[in-house]
Amino acid sequence: MEDFLIKTKGISKEFSGVRVLNNIDFELKKGEILGLIGENGAGKSTLMKIISGLYFPTEGEIFFEGEKVVINSPFVAKKLGISIIPQEFNLINHLNVYENIFLGNEKRKNKIVLDKKAMRKKTKELMNKLKTVIDPDTVIEGLSVAQKQMVEIAKALSRDSKLLILDEPTTVLTINEIEILFDLMRNLKDHGVSMVYISHKLGEVKEICDEVMILRDGNFVSKANTSKISEKEMAENMVGRVLSEVYPEKVSPDSDLCLEVKDYSVDRVLHNISFDLKKGEILGFAGLVGAGRTELAETIIGIRKKKSGELLINGEKVEIKNPLDAVNNGIGYLPEDRQGTGIITNFDLIKNTTLVSLRNYGKFIINKKKERERTREYVDEFKIRAASLKTKLEFFSGGNQQKVSLAKCLDPQPKIIIFDEPTRGIDVNAKREIYFFINDLVKKGISCIFISSELEEIIGMCNRVAVMKEGSLAGILEGEHINEKEIMYYATGVKGAA
Amino acid sequence: MKKAFLLVLVVLFVFTAVSLAATYKIGVSIPTADHGWTGGINYWAAKAIEDWEAKRDDIEFFLVASSDPQRQVSDIEDLMVKGIDALVILAHDSAPLTPIVAEVYEAGIYVVSVDRGLLLPVQDVYIAGDNPGLGRVAGQWMAEELGGKGKIVALEGIPCVINTERVEAFEAEIAKYPGIELLDSQPAYWSADTGYEVMSNYLQKYPEIDAVFAQDDDVLIGVLAAYEESGRDDIKTFFGGAGSKIMIKKVMDGDPLVKADVTYPPSMIATGISLAVFGVTGEPLVGFYQQKVPSEVILAAELVTPENAHLYYEPDSVF
Amino acid sequence: MPEEKSFFKKIDITKLGPLVALAILFVISAFASPYFLQVRNLLNILSQVSFTGMIALGMTFIIISGGIDLSVGSAVAFSGGVMIIALNGLLQVMSEPLALLVGFLVALGVGIGCGALNGLIVTKGRLAPFIATLGTMAIFRSLILFFGNAGNLTVDFRYTMLKDIGRGRTFGVQNTIWVFLILTIILQFVLNKTRYGRYVCAVGSNEKVAKFSSIKVDRVRFMTYVITGATVAFAAFFAAGRMNSISTTQVGDQYELDAIAAVVIGGTPMTGGTGIIWGTVVGAIILGMISNMLNMVGVSPYLHGTVKGIVIIGAVLVQEIGKRSTSKLSN
Repeated sequence: MEDFLIKTKGISKEFSGVRVLNNIDFELKKGEILGLIGENGAGKSTLMKIISGLYFPTEGEIFFEGEKVVINSPFVAKKLGISIIPQEFNLINHLNVYENIFLGNEKRKNKIVLDKKAMRKKTKELMNKLKTVIDPDTVIEGLSVAQKQMVEIAKALSRDSKLLILDEPTTVLTINEIEILFDLMRNLKDHGVSMVYISHKLGEVKEICDEVMILRDGNFVSKANTSKISEKEMAENMVGRVLSEVYPEKVSPDSDLCLEVKDYSVDRVLHNISFDLKKGEILGFAGLVGAGRTELAETIIGIRKKKSGELLINGEKVEIKNPLDAVNNGIGYLPEDRQGTGIITNFDLIKNTTLVSLRNYGKFIINKKKERERTREYVDEFKIRAASLKTKLEFFSGGNQQKVSLAKCLDPQPKIIIFDEPTRGIDVNAKREIYFFINDLVKKGISCIFISSELEEIIGMCNRVAVMKEGSLAGILEGEHINEKEIMYYATGVKGAA
Repeated sequence: MKKAFLLVLVVLFVFTAVSLAATYKIGVSIPTADHGWTGGINYWAAKAIEDWEAKRDDIEFFLVASSDPQRQVSDIEDLMVKGIDALVILAHDSAPLTPIVAEVYEAGIYVVSVDRGLLLPVQDVYIAGDNPGLGRVAGQWMAEELGGKGKIVALEGIPCVINTERVEAFEAEIAKYPGIELLDSQPAYWSADTGYEVMSNYLQKYPEIDAVFAQDDDVLIGVLAAYEESGRDDIKTFFGGAGSKIMIKKVMDGDPLVKADVTYPPSMIATGISLAVFGVTGEPLVGFYQQKVPSEVILAAELVTPENAHLYYEPDSVF
Repeated sequence: MPEEKSFFKKIDITKLGPLVALAILFVISAFASPYFLQVRNLLNILSQVSFTGMIALGMTFIIISGGIDLSVGSAVAFSGGVMIIALNGLLQVMSEPLALLVGFLVALGVGIGCGALNGLIVTKGRLAPFIATLGTMAIFRSLILFFGNAGNLTVDFRYTMLKDIGRGRTFGVQNTIWVFLILTIILQFVLNKTRYGRYVCAVGSNEKVAKFSSIKVDRVRFMTYVITGATVAFAAFFAAGRMNSISTTQVGDQYELDAIAAVVIGGTPMTGGTGIIWGTVVGAIILGMISNMLNMVGVSPYLHGTVKGIVIIGAVLVQEIGKRSTSKLSN
């Protein structure tokens, strides 16, 4: 009995009469790492929010270190030693690293004056532990997404937690950074810290977790020792059926070039990038975080000003100065940052779907009937789950939001589409759906640029793979050269011109 | 629910019935009290209404004070809704109020315009103070007080017609005395603070001053404060204007510096209200052999001296 | 997926809030004053609120797009004043109706010019709208004080047409109310039925998404200031007509506060992204009704500000509480 750090009994949660979590028992030993997996909407985040005091359960009890506790606010959770590293960052952008780490937990001299020196020192120690070099005085705004994730982790560590909840911590990290994080988790485990690890990456779950618990539609499905369950079994338990092939069969492209990018440069960001794209081709873009892939996409669609370079579409030179020029020339872009640049969360399904293509729904007055009908088509085609066409997107799950973002990108009928991390943070099922949509597009003769940090899907989807490193093109791989090892050689500079 | 509705109807009916009891309705529209003199206007308007309401119950009054000309136009529109028979108005500003007062006048409502004239002849009665008279009385008294010899500094009001009339009459009067020299005349905008500043400058600039004409009792407060601070004792007399209770009290108590004052009385609004009562009820003024109220009434600029000051002293007034 | 009908059955409480407040105020006013329910009084309220109301319509667009315009009051005095100067000159050389038409076009031009200047400073100069319009507020007011010698700019009283239009009625209803109504219908249409209206909401919701969605963000924001400039010109024309003059020191004073208050009471959040044109109209009427009622009851004019302030804070508080409870439900 004493072994269990935390134990729940019959936890349920209802939101306005809808049961999203049903009678969950779960227990965690001291120094144990538990993997928590399930599709989007399975109840993983809800369960963790209950444990960290953000939600209050409708039914059920929680025992912490053998005693019954009532966690009715994040403050109580913090006092017990429960920390959560959330999926969406919780950092204040204009404060610097150490101020964020010690926010609400500041060190003081004589209980009054802030002890900045001590906080800087402690921050440096934490960063050393994480094998990351981030100056404690850097303002958060200036950090990359991966660095922000490291700050979040450092923040949780600074509180000497007994239970650490990590919600999808590795989506934005590179392989190296993931290894550092795992080393650190093993280290914490040796010191008796318990962890809950939520992830869609089943390989990682198998690697780092002792046990794995699987949820589906708010219900407990199974719990197993990770050494005794395969990734495929995990995935099948998640979706509740036997999974067919994840990636569609690759389609071979035409020989005609539909897009030629020549000598693109942007000050300090991109250096002389040249490549071409064939009609009906999927060209992957791989590289480490910060290699300049998103920046390249943004330059092509006219968000960023280029210093030099030219662009040819179907052999003809075109000038793209802004996103409208890009749309008019048949280029679509599915942004990486869904909520930041992709969709408008307080707009409904219809308004989001037609935002880019609104010009096609009337010169001045919007044809609302046409808008509605069109959106309904996308809902059917992409199996978007929505209460109604008028539901605001803030109430949608990540996967459904991504499908709307996709519909929005496709509605202007682009001939060339740039997908930037199209499957980030969405579940296996939705991922698979998106792979097949993209393949259907290619069959219709549409050409795609596919930017992803998940090598597996790049390898599974692309005809050719361009690898970027520090703003330059390190190389373009074809055929049998498309494999994880080769890509990493180019991405890290072991091979390639850059 | 039905009962509540019935109650509403009954209450509304009672209200309407009560308000119909009055035979005459008089609206009074004045500016809010933004300085001493308009404060006096607010006091006297309320006082006249109280006096009349105590005397007769067939007249109902509606008093509105407005913070700016646009507001005053709206407030008069609201008064019209109440079906007033007469309007007593002291306009914030002449031009912006002329169209609405013209509308009131054309609707057959009896209009008494007080102090600030309108740009069109759209009133039954115009009542105002005597601006040239104020300058003249002040000039005459000061010249005599100085024995026809001495140096005077003057402070002016906001540059406008009223101010010009007062200043010109004052200067014309003292010009009759060759021994008197007007050293300087600068605007103090009828404000005590500016009066203090201007007087401080005068005291720096002119080593010899015999008398000060402040034109306004508010300004005189600032002037006296500046004089007191300077520690000088050469100035023989100070003269304000309009007749505030502070200055009247000084005159009454035999203050060595303030020996006289001249009226430009805010009580003119009270007289205006009385004229509206007579005008709208058709009662002739006592002692007048005409049926109607005079179409123009200019109140005398009365000289206040220690002998008669008690007649002008109104301890309850705010001005 | 369920049909949309079921969605429409649900009533959005936050949107109806202003209407409920208006109804309550209406009943209280009817109790408080026997004059309140007279048609003439109700029309008075509408005509009195129509000036700030017109401006508030334009302000709704600016606030939805995520901006603010503090210069509207000064711009009313400026465009109205310039119109009167022009009118007095024009009346010497042409017939009165023609002079008035040209005068109105001058006001419209100046109003739109003021808006365009604000729009340029905000979009090209990349200044915060609060700062940009704080600056132009001072500039417009100071210029018209200079042109008018800090006094009144008055139309020669021999010419009555401006006054007749400004104070006149059509079918028994004041002309200002008609214009307010027409502007409301037009702008309601623009916001809800046109591409531009959709873009304004998109820019206010998330400027970055709008930019990535090939919307010309700067042009959209610029136009919100131009629209407001046009509504300012209409307000200036009728303000000048109402008093046959423009008091350079007083006209438009604090219009910006009343306009912003009307927008906010009407249910458009200061954070932008969404907004309700008819809500703004309701907000303006609520403000007008409060001062009318207090006037009718005989409350000191010095206390009107307190009541107004309480209503503004109360209205927004109710909306915020409503929003918090709905977002909790849907989490």
